Amino acid sequence: MSALVNTARGETVAVERATRGRAARAWRLARAYPTATVGAILLALLVAVAIFAPFLGTTDPAALMPARRARVPSAANWFGTDLLGRDLYSRVIYGTRVSLMVGFSVAFIATAIGLLIGLTAGFIRAVDNTVMRAMDGLMSIPSILLAVALMALTRGSVGNVIIAITIAEIPRVSRLARSVTLSLREQPFIDAAVSIGARTPTIMFKHVLPNTLAPLMVQATYICASAMIIEAILSFIGAGTPPNIPSWGNIMSEGRALWQVKPYIILFPAAFLSLAVLAVNLLGDGLRDALDPKMARNL
Amino acid sequence: MASYILRRVLATIPVMAFVAFFVFSLLFVAPGDPAALIAGDQATPEDIERVRLRLGLDRPFLTQFADWVWRLLHGDLGSSIFTNTSVSEMIGQRIEPTLSLMALTLLLAIAVAVPLGVVAAWKAGRWMDRTVMIIAVFGFSIPGFVVGYAFAYVFALELDWLPVQGYTPLSHGVWPWLRNLILPATSLGLVYIALIARITRATMLETLQQDYVRTGRAKGLGQIRILFVHALKNASVPIVTVIGIGIALLIGGAVVTESVFAIPGVGRLTVDAILRRDFPVIQGVVLLFSFAYVLINLAIDIFYTLLDPRIRY
Repeated sequence: MSALVNTARGETVAVERATRGRAARAWRLARAYPTATVGAILLALLVAVAIFAPFLGTTDPAALMPARRARVPSAANWFGTDLLGRDLYSRVIYGTRVSLMVGFSVAFIATAIGLLIGLTAGFIRAVDNTVMRAMDGLMSIPSILLAVALMALTRGSVGNVIIAITIAEIPRVSRLARSVTLSLREQPFIDAAVSIGARTPTIMFKHVLPNTLAPLMVQATYICASAMIIEAILSFIGAGTPPNIPSWGNIMSEGRALWQVKPYIILFPAAFLSLAVLAVNLLGDGLRDALDPKMARNL
Repeated sequence: MASYILRRVLATIPVMAFVAFFVFSLLFVAPGDPAALIAGDQATPEDIERVRLRLGLDRPFLTQFADWVWRLLHGDLGSSIFTNTSVSEMIGQRIEPTLSLMALTLLLAIAVAVPLGVVAAWKAGRWMDRTVMIIAVFGFSIPGFVVGYAFAYVFALELDWLPVQGYTPLSHGVWPWLRNLILPATSLGLVYIALIARITRATMLETLQQDYVRTGRAKGLGQIRILFVHALKNASVPIVTVIGIGIALLIGGAVVTESVFAIPGVGRLTVDAILRRDFPVIQGVVLLFSFAYVLINLAIDIFYTLLDPRIRY
């Protein structure tokens, strides 16, 4: 609005004001949703850490320095070294990559597949009766145990961890997508689409799907958070990423034997993991507040 | 009511059947030869053949499944590949610590979270509410095993108030048993507390808007009585539902918490089985816990009808 008024006053002013207007708008949004803003900033920082890991004063996270085993944090090794003399700072920084990759991939794939299942179940009764019963069954297996069982059958790799956690998370998304679809189907605009002769696939993908995205996006953030925790747990108990990959769970698992004397080996990856999960959770809470003000007042 | 309960009980049968089928077929949908998977990386072709014959993996899939279900119905969960002991026996030996941990965590979480949620709803928007909600966000974000290490370091190593690790059976006395479980139960319970406190607050906020709450105030009932007797009772159905659903968190979390605190329970059994790729043990544990989870939630559904006489399906 203010940008429009400014255009009338002259182009230079308009451009200047428009940029300032955008900044002001961003600031207003940030003020209105402080949780989401803090979460987004934290997450952006972690993404930057993951991308620029090689340039953050790290050395090769797998390089062994047998002469410097289990050293306490110092100027040379900011977070100390582990039992094999590897630099913990480098390992933890590179671990950000694994955790974020698992979190984002699981959130994206599980949401996409779950949305497709839920949408179909909401429209096709036969699918609803069979597939959703199967989803109920899958949901009654606690997700960590399901992921453990799946990982026990495959070789440890980041890809397999992503697949295992995704399978465990799909039922929750499909349930949400189904219930949102069912309530959307009762809306007048769907009746309107039906009455002008829109075909079912058109209604499903053009009219219903876009409206399911807001609640699913909120849920995707929670899935991302839970996927990062499950990955760490799997690696910690030895059923996750292979030990040669520096993931936070692996680093903690290696620090277990010595945690009473060298607690920092566990402390640093644990702090990063908690921070990452906190960032995603804050972002999710903020998104929920922004997208669903009615529910936000309560939860 | 009897017909409702009967229908509800019958409805869990297909769910449990699906779980059984899924857990059984895991071995067959996994890429590669099931016998080779179980035999492990260093297995010779003869080892693989031996595993195949011993587990009957050379028979048709449906025959194997029928046989497996038949033995399952007789309480036979198969036997460990390594020790040849029966899986049900192995779980039986390890169930006490796990049940103790989960029961204590459950009690602790409900005792802490419900009052917190009620107070937060009562003081909605004020500092007490905000504090509870911030605690809840952290409870969701800091993984239980991380909290476990922090607690163990502070309260056991530094302050020396409680034992660092281990488990003492209940038969050795209540206090020694409890002492060992306080730290694990607290760290395992944190996420559960966050979950229950949030849903309690949300439901109570809604309930406190009801007319009968105003009526209660008008006729001069005390605040405590209104909150905990009238409002909480009417808000209880969603809270109990979430407590039931959250048990999945406890089951999953117990596996790791037992590793952190060196508790010789089913979680440790699972971790050992993963390291040795002892699939029948993992299969048995997953199946048992999933069935328990389904049955607990069935019990809760039935409990509703007692809790809230308005529910008549």
